[in-house]
Amino acid sequence: MTSAEAKSIEEICTATWESLYRFVYFKVQNRQEAEDTTQETYVKAYSHLQSGKVAPDKYIAFLKTIALNLIRDSWRRKKRRGPSIDVESVDPAHFAVEDHTEESAQRQAVQEALAQLNEDQRTVIELRILKGYSVADTAKLMGKQEVAIRVIQHRALKQMASLLNPIRE
Amino acid sequence: MKDQERKLSDYIDRLNAEMMPEEDENSASSPELRELYRTVKQIRSLRETAMPGPDFPQKLARSVASGQLTRRSPDRKRQWSWLIGMVSAAALLALLITFVIPLGRDNVVSAMEKAYMEVGAYHGTLEVVETAANGESDMQAKWDVWADQAGHYYVKGLEGANRDIVTVNNGQSKWQIQPDREQVQIFPTLPDAYRFQFELGNEIQQAKQAQSVKVVGEETISGRKASVVEVTPKGGLPYRIWVDEQTNLPLRKQTAMQHAIQYTYTYSQIDFADAIPQALISYRLPDGFAEINTNPEQIANDLDEAQEIAGFRPLESKTVPSGYVQDRLAVVPDQGMTRIYYRDPSRNHQVMSQQSRAAGEFKPDSNALLGRTDGSPVEILSPVANDSSVSSIRWRQDGYEFKVAGDASLDDLAAFAQGLMSAPLEMPAVNKQTAEPQVKVPYDLDVEKGDQRNADAGSSPWKLDPVFVAQVFVSLQMSPGGISGDYPIAMKDLEVSDNDGTKAIVTVNNEKAPSKRVYLAKLVRQDASGIWTVVGYDPR
Repeated sequence: MTSAEAKSIEEICTATWESLYRFVYFKVQNRQEAEDTTQETYVKAYSHLQSGKVAPDKYIAFLKTIALNLIRDSWRRKKRRGPSIDVESVDPAHFAVEDHTEESAQRQAVQEALAQLNEDQRTVIELRILKGYSVADTAKLMGKQEVAIRVIQHRALKQMASLLNPIRE
Repeated sequence: MKDQERKLSDYIDRLNAEMMPEEDENSASSPELRELYRTVKQIRSLRETAMPGPDFPQKLARSVASGQLTRRSPDRKRQWSWLIGMVSAAALLALLITFVIPLGRDNVVSAMEKAYMEVGAYHGTLEVVETAANGESDMQAKWDVWADQAGHYYVKGLEGANRDIVTVNNGQSKWQIQPDREQVQIFPTLPDAYRFQFELGNEIQQAKQAQSVKVVGEETISGRKASVVEVTPKGGLPYRIWVDEQTNLPLRKQTAMQHAIQYTYTYSQIDFADAIPQALISYRLPDGFAEINTNPEQIANDLDEAQEIAGFRPLESKTVPSGYVQDRLAVVPDQGMTRIYYRDPSRNHQVMSQQSRAAGEFKPDSNALLGRTDGSPVEILSPVANDSSVSSIRWRQDGYEFKVAGDASLDDLAAFAQGLMSAPLEMPAVNKQTAEPQVKVPYDLDVEKGDQRNADAGSSPWKLDPVFVAQVFVSLQMSPGGISGDYPIAMKDLEVSDNDGTKAIVTVNNEKAPSKRVYLAKLVRQDASGIWTVVGYDPR
């Protein structure tokens, strides 16, 4: 690779990484996987971005599509069956839609569903998932046994699932 | 059901730790769990995105440019680098043979160590280039450097602010020739805060202590083929060194970009010798130059002479570790202080045993580890603040203050100290029974890692001082809205009551403070450069 090419990939990364990383994080919800997937996305997409097959204004949409495929396929890679994403097959007409509608609609739906939980359930979800407390700390803060927290958490999530994804029920 | 509750809880914990879960909504065996995992992620999307470290974009560009991918497996057992996609199987094999197999972490470091062991001394031209974030580079300095394994050196400025200035430390004495002022300054040899940057022994030591070391490429530097090695210190930003493939010694170092500035040190020329030429490290006052002696020591011929000048007879250590011999005896007349120097010629270590009459209050350094002897505190600094190769042990007994310091191991220094003490030296250990706080203070390890990186870059140096960290914590307890003006609790009201180097307890001697004791720990890096974090307190 020449230094000019290396510079250009650096420019592409600098211009696009944050948008791609936030998109991936929204899907995977942990930094480790978001960092790895973002990195893997660029490695996979690199030659295509260099080849000029993708217009610069479509870079982010293209990268998001690759990332989405990688995330969907992650279970396969975890079972060490190797990567199966074929960048060639990514159809430019079906790049990931570059807007935040999905994200804001999901957030709205989650807020509405949370409001429908009883107080204990909502508190457990808030402490455990939104504030990131451990089961032990949540138990201490709520004056309950740890086992009770796990039971409430499980029930609360089942209810949230049915409220958020009614079709799958 | 219990199993499902546990798995669900583990999944949430894993995401809370910002780690890849063991299984997820695509891989879980039960459809119900898959649904619940998906729901957890949906709820979690209300949280702010946890952003990667500041060096992530650069790392990204580098890994893409080299076609190399580092993926951490969920169980963190597999940590090798692997390649996908663009690299063919043949290229992968070639790469494995070239880099990974012969130059894995331990291989790179041990090859450097081995090569360094065989070098008596080295001589090179060291160039320092400063690069700003906008890519502009500027040569800061050029040095002519001689150094040996014992830590002796001769450094002459060729270009830059210190042009023509010569600094020498031959183990016995240290001086600096300043031609523009026509003077020579004499400094004490211990501790030596000067030491030049990119000293090979130091570099190799740092790589040895790093969290990870990996070969990321190959380049030609000053006409020599070199492996590019990325070194990530514990909790710090990664930097690179270029290791000469022929000599296995570092040729270049590029620091991480901090505060939009990056430094690159390069030996544009380097060769090796058995020793530094005597002429360079023998003291001689150039004609017409004035000698400014900032080393207040006066050599004494024997203990009687030392007693006459200092007013007391210095105590000699009864336990001198094997290999050490008494080197010289000195007195600092102004301070009524005696110093006995010992030297281990085979390992080139120097130890100083210092004694003076005790005056004022004995206040151990707030960063010191605390040992005890005969019920009194013993201050242990390992290393001392301004020289990372020197440690010291300081205490009082029978109206005298003693200090043993040197570039020897802490065990050797403790042996010297024990030979001066009238009671056993108890090395520091935080008492397990008293080490548990009544109230635990939660912390976010990612935030702490960020703070560690800031401290590495020179920001928030107070986080390195357990007393200061405790002061801020207690002050915020007393004034939760923030502190304006003086801290509501003064430094003098805080006292380190335990410190074993990784855990510390600070006692608060002020009735108004809501805490009696503050518990701190070094969470990210457990050495002198690690920051302290409050992990708990005992309410008053």
